[in-house]
Amino acid sequence: MSTVLKSNTQEARTGTIGGPPAATGGLGSRLKRLNIPGGLGGWIWLAIIILPVYYVVITSLKTQAGYFGQNPLALPASPTLENYQMVLEADFATYFMNSAIVTLGSVIPTVLVSFMASFAIVRGSGRFLKLVNGVFLMGLAIPLQATIIPIYLMIIRLNLYDSLLALMLPSIAFAIPLTVLILSNFIRDVPNELFESMRLDGCSEWQTMWRLALPLTRPAIVTVAIYNGLHVWNGFLLPLVLTQSPGLRVLPLGLWTFQGEFSVNIPAVLASVVLSTLPILVLYVIGRRQLLAGLTAGFSK
Amino acid sequence: MWYLSGEPNQTTMQKAVDAFNSANSADKINVTYFQNDAYKTKIKTAIGANQAPTIIYGWGGGGLKTYAEANQVEDLTSWLEQNQDLKKKFFPSSFGAATINGKIYALPNQYVAPIVLFYNKELFQKAGVQPPKSWEDIMSLVKTFNGMGVAPFSLGGQSRWTSMMWLEYLLDRIGGPEVFKAIFEGKPNAWMDPAVIETGTKVQELVSADGFIKGFSSITADSQADQALLFSGKAAMMLHGSWTYGAMKKAGQNFVQNGKLGFVPFPTIAGGKGDPKNGVGNPAAYMSISSKASDKEKESAKKFFKDGILTETVIDAYINSGSVPIVNGIEDKLNTSEDREFLNFVYDMAKNAPNFQQSWDQALSPTAAEALLNNIDQLFLKSITPQQFAENMNGTLGK
Amino acid sequence: MSNAISTAPRATARIKESRQTEQRKAALAWLTLPALFFFLVFAVIPLAGVLILSFTSWDGIGAIGAAGLDNWFSVLADPGLYNALGLTFLIMIVSWLVQTPISLLLGVFTAGSQRYRAALAVLYFLPLLLSSAAVAIAFKALLDPNFGLATGLGLPFLAQDWLGVPHLALGLVIFVIAWQFVPFHTLIYQGGVRQIPKSLYEAAQIDGAGTIKQFFHITLPQLKYTIITSSTLMVVGSLTYFDLIFVLTGGGPGNSTRILALDMYLRGFRANLMGPASVIAVILVIIGLALALFLQRLGGKDKQGSQLEGL
Repeated sequence: MSTVLKSNTQEARTGTIGGPPAATGGLGSRLKRLNIPGGLGGWIWLAIIILPVYYVVITSLKTQAGYFGQNPLALPASPTLENYQMVLEADFATYFMNSAIVTLGSVIPTVLVSFMASFAIVRGSGRFLKLVNGVFLMGLAIPLQATIIPIYLMIIRLNLYDSLLALMLPSIAFAIPLTVLILSNFIRDVPNELFESMRLDGCSEWQTMWRLALPLTRPAIVTVAIYNGLHVWNGFLLPLVLTQSPGLRVLPLGLWTFQGEFSVNIPAVLASVVLSTLPILVLYVIGRRQLLAGLTAGFSK
Repeated sequence: MWYLSGEPNQTTMQKAVDAFNSANSADKINVTYFQNDAYKTKIKTAIGANQAPTIIYGWGGGGLKTYAEANQVEDLTSWLEQNQDLKKKFFPSSFGAATINGKIYALPNQYVAPIVLFYNKELFQKAGVQPPKSWEDIMSLVKTFNGMGVAPFSLGGQSRWTSMMWLEYLLDRIGGPEVFKAIFEGKPNAWMDPAVIETGTKVQELVSADGFIKGFSSITADSQADQALLFSGKAAMMLHGSWTYGAMKKAGQNFVQNGKLGFVPFPTIAGGKGDPKNGVGNPAAYMSISSKASDKEKESAKKFFKDGILTETVIDAYINSGSVPIVNGIEDKLNTSEDREFLNFVYDMAKNAPNFQQSWDQALSPTAAEALLNNIDQLFLKSITPQQFAENMNGTLGK
Repeated sequence: MSNAISTAPRATARIKESRQTEQRKAALAWLTLPALFFFLVFAVIPLAGVLILSFTSWDGIGAIGAAGLDNWFSVLADPGLYNALGLTFLIMIVSWLVQTPISLLLGVFTAGSQRYRAALAVLYFLPLLLSSAAVAIAFKALLDPNFGLATGLGLPFLAQDWLGVPHLALGLVIFVIAWQFVPFHTLIYQGGVRQIPKSLYEAAQIDGAGTIKQFFHITLPQLKYTIITSSTLMVVGSLTYFDLIFVLTGGGPGNSTRILALDMYLRGFRANLMGPASVIAVILVIIGLALALFLQRLGGKDKQGSQLEGL
């Protein structure tokens, strides 16, 4: 990194710009000095991110002939939505629903049980809890992929093969260690005095958990919910092995199948990529404020 | 029933099923389509999970053997004895790959698919050359076409079984069918036969001379991109299954119809022991019945086998798409087809070949097949020597 | 605590209180049961299952038979295993080397107060929204030597057979992984940076420390736990980069991207060798455990405490 000189104008500028809501922690006045190399790096990275996205979007709007003919980076000569139509007719709405069901059905239980467990681990004591904590920590190291064969066997024996439930159960199990880790770290940062005051008010631990810990842990909950949610949403191996009916495909699987069948028709394939991402994108745009507010609120204690 | 996606067979099968279903509403068949490579994995998982479809599509050979040994497919021997006219309908040679330990576990189906050397007539005319008859011809054509900026051979290398076709023919031409026979029977060191080494050497010779299109190892056959290269003039030749004729007829924008698609048997190798008339490929497609299906389902399936699969309509459809159904007595139909040149070519090859070798990855057990495909991949990438290839494969004997 | 009580009653009150506290705290153990249930049944038992299966011979279709140590011997003697191991570690290390600095810098960058940075942060997040399958497919199209980026930008250098040449495929895989996951780690670092109290920087400024000094003496140390968290996630995660590589290269060309997880899947579900595949799975778990332990050590003993203490 090169040295960038501080300038009065920059300082003044930082003062007048509001910045993101709920303060920026410690760095506002310091970061302005990273301006030139930081800024440059930032823009370059942006280009790296955006270029593939741009390519995907414009190609999805081209006809196949146009794809073969035109310059790949040029805007479509005659943009068309026929690819999207084709993809939608190929059951993409079903795949989306399946993904949504599996994701919600995994994340909600995960967060719930992990939160309770984290609370217990942090606020409780005793050998049992220490043991549980240790078990979960070790669990962090177990890759889901490694257990896919026995899980396959188990799911068959439980008669759950080729069902969405089959996808949810292992997902929950494997998300627990990390979720517990993050949540418990967060709960640990809640000052003891707050817990004491709740206790003095006569609240039981149960009440304390829901009334005090939960709201305070919200940023972390949001984080793990999103992390786990994305993980499950993107999950490929479990659906690949544990489901087979076309009607039960989740989006990534549907995408892969579609690509295999239509791979010569690149515009259509890329249209499917866009379609599979669109709902998440919408959620992101809508939820981003919430997300940011939730994340930063916790940091301005 | 599970079946492969991809035209034109998908439509043909769908029509056959629809026709059967409307005539037999009590025995409706439900079809799900899968892409080739995905199908091969998926079907195994399904069978293992006891969720197999009633009708299982396959290629016979080693794969079928694993199903049979696990009692997952019905023994059809007696049923076929009872239905002699059905049995007599098919080419006798097509039952070979369906027979395990003397019992028949699958019904032959569809068409015989030998591997054919296709070429782009237009490009050949432009270059003023003739299709190859010998290895030297091949190497000289490679030079010619590279000079013209055209890839000599198209190849969907990522699928690997496409690369395998090269080895199948080369080994047969060089060493004769006995070499693979020994391998199939699991004879010790069968892979170390000098013919195998020479096959590998020739393959790498071709690769080194830029005989295959640039980027062949990332082109899949499933996407039919390899065929597209041939009919769009980017590649001059292609060694592929005869079924691609029909596919190219459909997708090639009249390339086939305008007579630009040429085909010849695989060239001879000087000093080779194999009969140049020997064929390689899929003797047929095979359909088995899951032993875990209900009795009613099995009956429906058998009915479909009897009345629904190779009806006249279906036979015509296959012929129309340039494939030779494994049905006896169709010579006249072949002769009246617009594709008779190709059809007769295939028919003669299938009928008169002294030896017809089933595709290796289907003849061998799935374990050996996977190792084979893996090693072929590396052989073509020149990351292993022919010697190593043989040694690696030797380790799979008997698995 | 109340101060109007005399010593003796206070002591008993305190003992009574602490016993109550203990009871209460022990009762909390029940809260862990649901999580424990899921985890034990669907994670721990399969774990044991993998170990057991590694001693069996099963083709996924027929019955499961005993195979003793055969699988172990055959796998450990198979050069393919070491290829997969090497690749896995290579990708892990190089990914870390690539992703961490970029994420760190970007995290610092986006934690800034300038508005345009917030806007950029929104865009940076985009790759995370795509599933691995989507990313792989998009890049496959993008890198087509004939119709992709190369032609578009007119840069022949980009018209390589990316997915066909072993080294290129590997490099590409690392790049695409980074493309997809840097945003996530950026987020982690951004959060971490925002937590650093302004006071530290102001103090440093007064002492006359420049930007770089501040970065190395304040930012980095304060980010220690963030780095560990991010690195843990990255490293353990890299053991399981199945999806992306499966769709992008399928392990090829040849074996050049056949990482451990992929090798396991292919052995089990394609070559029908569930026993040996389980052996690989066990190896995968052992490595995962070892890494986790190692990283925990790195985290230090004060993992239990909060980083804010001492301020």
